[in-house]
Amino acid sequence: MDDWKPSPLIKPFGARKKRSWYLTWKYKLTNQRALRRFCQTGAVLFLLVTVIVNIKLILDTRRAISEANEDPEPEQDYDEALGHLEPPRRRGSGPRRVLDVEVYSSRSKVYVAVDGTTVLEDEAREQGRGIHVIVLNQATGHVMAKRVFDTYSPHEDEAMVLFLNMVAPGRVLICTVKDEGSFHLKDTAKALLRSLGSQAGPALGWRDTWAFVGRKGGPVLGEKHSKSPALSSWGDPVLLKTDVPLSSAEEAECHWTDTELNRRRRRFCSKVEGYGSVCSCKDPTPIEFSPDPLPDNKVLNVPVAVIAGNRPNYLYRMLRSLLSAQGVSPQMITVFIDGYYEEPMDVVALFGLRGIQHTPISIKNARVSQHYKASLTATFNLFPEAKFAVVLEEDLDIAVDFFSFLSQSIHLLEEDDSLYCISAWNDQGYEHTAEDPALLYRVETMPGLGWVLRKSLYKEELEPKWPTPEKLWDWDMWMRMPEQRRGRECIIPDVSRSYHFGIVGLNMNGYFHEAYFKKHKFNTVPGVQLRNVDSLKKEAYEVEIHRLLSEAEVLDHSRNPCEDSFLPDTEGHTYVAFIQMEKDDDFTTWTQLAKCLHIWDLDVRGNHRGLWRLFRKKNHFLVVGVPASPYSVKKPPSVTPIFLEPPPKEEGAPGAAEQT
Amino acid sequence: MSRINKNVILALLTLTSSAFLLFQLYYYKHYLSTKNGAGLSKSKGSRIGFDSTQWRAVKKFIMLTSSQNVPVFLIDPLILELINKNFEQVKNTSGGSTSECKFFCVPRDFTVFALQYHLWKNEEGWFQIAENMGFQCLRIESKDPRLDGIDSLSGTEIPLHYICRLATHAIHLVVFHERSGNYLWHGHLRLKRHIDRKFVPFRKLQFGRYPGAFDRPELQRVTVDGLEVLIPKDPMHFLEEIPHSRFIECRYKEARAFFQQYLDDNTVEAMAFRKSAKELLQLAAKTLNKLGVQFWLSSGTCLGWYRQCNIIPYSKDVDLGIFIQDYKPEIIVAFQDAGLPLKHKFGKVEDSLELSFQGKDDVKLDIFFFYEDTDHMWNGGTQAKTGKKFKYLFPRFTLCWTEFVDMKVHVPCETLEYIEANYGKTWKIPVKTWDWKRSPPNVQPNGVWPISEWDEVIQLY
Repeated sequence: MDDWKPSPLIKPFGARKKRSWYLTWKYKLTNQRALRRFCQTGAVLFLLVTVIVNIKLILDTRRAISEANEDPEPEQDYDEALGHLEPPRRRGSGPRRVLDVEVYSSRSKVYVAVDGTTVLEDEAREQGRGIHVIVLNQATGHVMAKRVFDTYSPHEDEAMVLFLNMVAPGRVLICTVKDEGSFHLKDTAKALLRSLGSQAGPALGWRDTWAFVGRKGGPVLGEKHSKSPALSSWGDPVLLKTDVPLSSAEEAECHWTDTELNRRRRRFCSKVEGYGSVCSCKDPTPIEFSPDPLPDNKVLNVPVAVIAGNRPNYLYRMLRSLLSAQGVSPQMITVFIDGYYEEPMDVVALFGLRGIQHTPISIKNARVSQHYKASLTATFNLFPEAKFAVVLEEDLDIAVDFFSFLSQSIHLLEEDDSLYCISAWNDQGYEHTAEDPALLYRVETMPGLGWVLRKSLYKEELEPKWPTPEKLWDWDMWMRMPEQRRGRECIIPDVSRSYHFGIVGLNMNGYFHEAYFKKHKFNTVPGVQLRNVDSLKKEAYEVEIHRLLSEAEVLDHSRNPCEDSFLPDTEGHTYVAFIQMEKDDDFTTWTQLAKCLHIWDLDVRGNHRGLWRLFRKKNHFLVVGVPASPYSVKKPPSVTPIFLEPPPKEEGAPGAAEQT
Repeated sequence: MSRINKNVILALLTLTSSAFLLFQLYYYKHYLSTKNGAGLSKSKGSRIGFDSTQWRAVKKFIMLTSSQNVPVFLIDPLILELINKNFEQVKNTSGGSTSECKFFCVPRDFTVFALQYHLWKNEEGWFQIAENMGFQCLRIESKDPRLDGIDSLSGTEIPLHYICRLATHAIHLVVFHERSGNYLWHGHLRLKRHIDRKFVPFRKLQFGRYPGAFDRPELQRVTVDGLEVLIPKDPMHFLEEIPHSRFIECRYKEARAFFQQYLDDNTVEAMAFRKSAKELLQLAAKTLNKLGVQFWLSSGTCLGWYRQCNIIPYSKDVDLGIFIQDYKPEIIVAFQDAGLPLKHKFGKVEDSLELSFQGKDDVKLDIFFFYEDTDHMWNGGTQAKTGKKFKYLFPRFTLCWTEFVDMKVHVPCETLEYIEANYGKTWKIPVKTWDWKRSPPNVQPNGVWPISEWDEVIQLY
């Protein structure tokens, strides 16, 4: 440490001059060793402090930054936290771990009591025939589903098989027969009953009584059966009393990962049964769909009112299709339930939607009508900024491009005063009469079944004079009346954007549905670009119709219009036929033609100034009523309009049905 | 050896030191750009007040709302006032950095934000995430008043208020709901029995004592104390609204009971009258609002609102009240421009002023001007034929908002007293014949106009 010599490291860098300066400076200092040392340590210390302060600063800023960024994943933290928080809810030993179940089966009465509480009692006459099925939660004993399958009638056993297959393993199943439950109980159903462990079920005979309690997937917990002694008499009433041991809550529930969605799912699945794979433990069907958003969605902020009754399975199916449609915004959906029913509310909660219950105040159709009014008023109250509302019913499937269809056409409702509504449903759009998903029509009737209502129409015209409860009117019939419609028209697509799957409605029976709704065409193509939407405006549409009629080929009017050969076997042509229509309300020939074409014939639908448009064999087919229609001028003088005689009135046709 | 070592060490230290210095510079720059103004201005110690609990709670809350897309804006009266005073400063800080916490560090118990419920897309789970971030939250829910007017609907409850506490500071989130009539509504903060009354000093809350109604404000984004927030574009207007925001709901249940007893008039004439009266009221409201003149529903129109939540079909006119100090001569011209010609003018500004305008379809608009006395308020009446003056006395009242025929309008808060003064205790019973000079219990003769003044105080058109 004695001499401070230039370091060999530094040497090569120093310039010659510099070096001499350095040396003189150095030799000067050699004499002041103490000072030199002091400087040295000072420098070292200073450098050390700088380094430490720097490190500290870096650590500090880093902490500040990480603090600021700590939130991107709070959800994950939250889930973890909840994982710890949620202990097995009803662990172990409540005072009672056994349910005491009573099941009664007889000709005129069935009942089921669980722990002394009657959960099913049916002694109504002419009702509730068949096999009653009740599903209990094996951990709580709560009733999760209640169904009756009239297996005396055809196809009901298929519904029962479908239902029983959907029930999760381990649930408690209770079956009891009222009156008759074997006539149409086919082999598949019997095999299923056998697989449940039932002895008497598979051998159930004419007018036997039968009561059964078992766990799905075994074991049987009790069964009683009484054979009917003769064709004309019933089996003796049977009363089955049995104990059902409850299992622990963990066993009764699935172990889905703990997310907000699955919490909804769990709440739903522990309450109700019969919704299939939504409650499947292994691979549950999703309850969130996130369909593609629509570019430039004009109906994003249009509220959607779903009008529902107590058909939770329908509602479930309907909401699934609605939430899968492109461009749907779930927070705009409100489900209005007619009555204080729990299960439809559970379905609404499963999908995380808004549900509103409506206390029944009136009977039958008038009640539906009051429910509609309350729902529409509420919709515009909840969304005061909305200019339109979409009205749907619980028994509709919604096409994937439903909102795209509305988004492309809704401006018409704003710009054209002569419009009454836009509807997704074409009354005459059957598999064999609809073809072009890009085509729209104007019609004088109001089809409903998925439609858009203008707020000003509702607030200024309809709401103030809506039929009061004591008038037992159907809301849709009322809306179709000339006083309300005032000559305005609705826009409809050729291929419907909704599908009416409902059967057990207020207004319909099964046969009726089969005949009039099942074969309806329903668009399944996403993102259809509608053609020439602005030609649907009042004046433009007339131009369009005249153009169509001018280029249409006139069909051979000597042939029978009911026969397939009435139209040539071409594709993509436009044909026109003229039928007799003496006055604006003379639909005699049209009704007969509709009947033989197998389209809607119960009342007149889909007409526009005496013109009907549909497709036959992939050709556009126009029907003009002569001379009532203003388009009669297009009829060549040589053509005689077709006249079809109505059949003599004696047929037992299902005319009981009023409308859709 | 040691010599070399020493030099090496020195060189190394110098090197690391300068490397750190460079790094520090770089890091600091980087940090600043990410924080955009919220960063440390020099080093520690020069930022004043930024460690206050208020500031930290607000910061955390803003982080929460922006990450969860909760549409909130600041409505805290204290802070809005400060912002309003120092508006230039708030505007200019958006790029630079703040050295002093001037707004959010002001000592107070609450910071108030408003939530625009109709813009809220993911309501679910938000509450839990807030709690997970360290907030202790309270949610106050109630049934939806927008469904009240409709017979027998019961829906999901809607949130009205959230109060989230972080350490000693609390964020009060007032939920604003959209209502028919283009305004925002917030509910009454009513504590349910099981709620801890000491959770926060509830008495000091500035919102929620009553339900409130506000014009829908336009919003702007500003940076306040290094935090980006939305505030009303016109903070002054919003601040002015606060003390007069009290809202009262129509008494829908009583109205239903009334209609059960007296059946609604659904004839074509009644419906036509209601429609034109509604249009007249809407036109009048628009005209007066444009002039900035405050008015309220008076007489028959007020009775219709209070008793049946609707326009009384046989009332034949629309009645409004205006305080005489709000009178502007422009009123008459404005109404004329709106297509409502003056029908008659009684009295003068100093005494018993009353204006009548002719609406469409023979519906009349009556505007009564109210004068204040020490213990009561009154408006005047004049009989055109005789020049007789009348005085209608009312107990003193203040004004509240309500919703009537899809509009946000004022009514006297003390409605029952107002109506009983005017119609007596039997106001619940519909009366079709009403004599303005004799029927009201609060009418007093008030002398006769001197003949010389008739030309001025009795003008008929």
